[in-house]
Amino acid sequence: MLDRILLSINKLPAFPATVQRVSELLKNEDYSVNEIVSVIKFDQAITANILKISNSAYFGVRQKIKTIHDAVVYLGQKHLVRAIQTASVSKFFTKRGYGDKASELWEHSVAVALMSQILSRQLHQKENPVLYTAALLHDVGKLVMGEYVQDASKKIFELVNNHGYSFLEAEEEIVGINHADLGGRIAEYWNFPAEIRDAITLHHRPNLDDLEENIFPSLIYLSDQFCLTMGIDGGMDGLAHRGFSEITKRFHLRESDVEKNMLLLLDQLKQANELLGIVDK
Amino acid sequence: MGTIPDLSWEKEFLYSIMADLVVGISDLKCSNQPKDVIITYALGSCIAVVIYDPMVRVGGMLHFMLPDSTLDKIKAASAPAMFADTGVPMLFKSCYQLGAEKKRLIVKIAGGASILNDADYFRIGQKNITAMRKIFWKNNVLINAEDTGKNCNRTVKLQLADGKCFVRSSGGSVEEL
Repeated sequence: MLDRILLSINKLPAFPATVQRVSELLKNEDYSVNEIVSVIKFDQAITANILKISNSAYFGVRQKIKTIHDAVVYLGQKHLVRAIQTASVSKFFTKRGYGDKASELWEHSVAVALMSQILSRQLHQKENPVLYTAALLHDVGKLVMGEYVQDASKKIFELVNNHGYSFLEAEEEIVGINHADLGGRIAEYWNFPAEIRDAITLHHRPNLDDLEENIFPSLIYLSDQFCLTMGIDGGMDGLAHRGFSEITKRFHLRESDVEKNMLLLLDQLKQANELLGIVDK
Repeated sequence: MGTIPDLSWEKEFLYSIMADLVVGISDLKCSNQPKDVIITYALGSCIAVVIYDPMVRVGGMLHFMLPDSTLDKIKAASAPAMFADTGVPMLFKSCYQLGAEKKRLIVKIAGGASILNDADYFRIGQKNITAMRKIFWKNNVLINAEDTGKNCNRTVKLQLADGKCFVRSSGGSVEEL
């Protein structure tokens, strides 16, 4: 089974290079709008989704955005990149993962990405686009592993319900690999930088001794836990993942902070409704 | 060759009588329409409180998220269903307005799940369960059935026609509560 899963990684389409190309162009201060538009337009699926999400309250643009040209002009650099990131990743969410439909895993992924930015603002006073991409992709392994896990769900739940396994441990025992490790391999196949790959691989097992050097896995872990707790879990694994109380101490999160962050995320999810809607229900 | 009869209005009629009232996070819905089915998805640590008066066939469902409204008074004022202490009274009052009576109400609860071994953080599931039990205890309300705790995500459904309540757990089957 493991061999088949690993082989199926190579069947995934390449990750669209739109974000990198646009980011390169934006580095030049007097970039040409038309040049950026032509790079985005190259990918029709991304173009359609950018238009769907550009008018979301999350981006807070007053003008009505009707064309990609409008989007490039009005969204502003930060939000333009955010929109392209979201649209690029959403292309891959055509499978149901561990849930009943593809939109469940997508909503979970967007929620974790939004939460990662809430935490980033609280800790570093700014958002982080690389963290956003990593968070959006943290469960990408579930897209490939979904059918195998759905088939083996009886065996997996036997271990989870009656033998004290976490869902991740049960995946390892039954399937031979867990979805986080598999996600890391997919990131590698897509040539993502090491920090994104590691964030995906370690998102259920962050190394707290490595917080200074490598904070992404912990931030995504925490964001994921927030969403699981709120029921935005995207699949059958539910809340059957391990909690490490040490991590809230390291981040100085009191119980009331945790609860307040849940309220913040709920507000943001309402604003970002269009982002959630680009994967068919 | 016979013509195919146009059944579109019949289909529409059928859909129109089988209504799902969806309760979002921090939301509540009540009804006295037998055709209605009240449903809430993905409870996580949140709790669904389901009440039903079989005599007048009035029922309601609350999906609250956090135990205590003192966390954010402004939010509690604009969205009382967000918290146990503001949401539960509102659920009961809304059903009274439709003719339900306290002494006849059947009360069922589901949700309040937790992440594995979260002894001292993200305890929201457990806190929600405790807060809600306290509210019912203080107000002399008996809980008739419950499916709480554990590590699964739940979807809950209430049929207004007969008051039957169903819970589906993530990775599990549908069971009547």
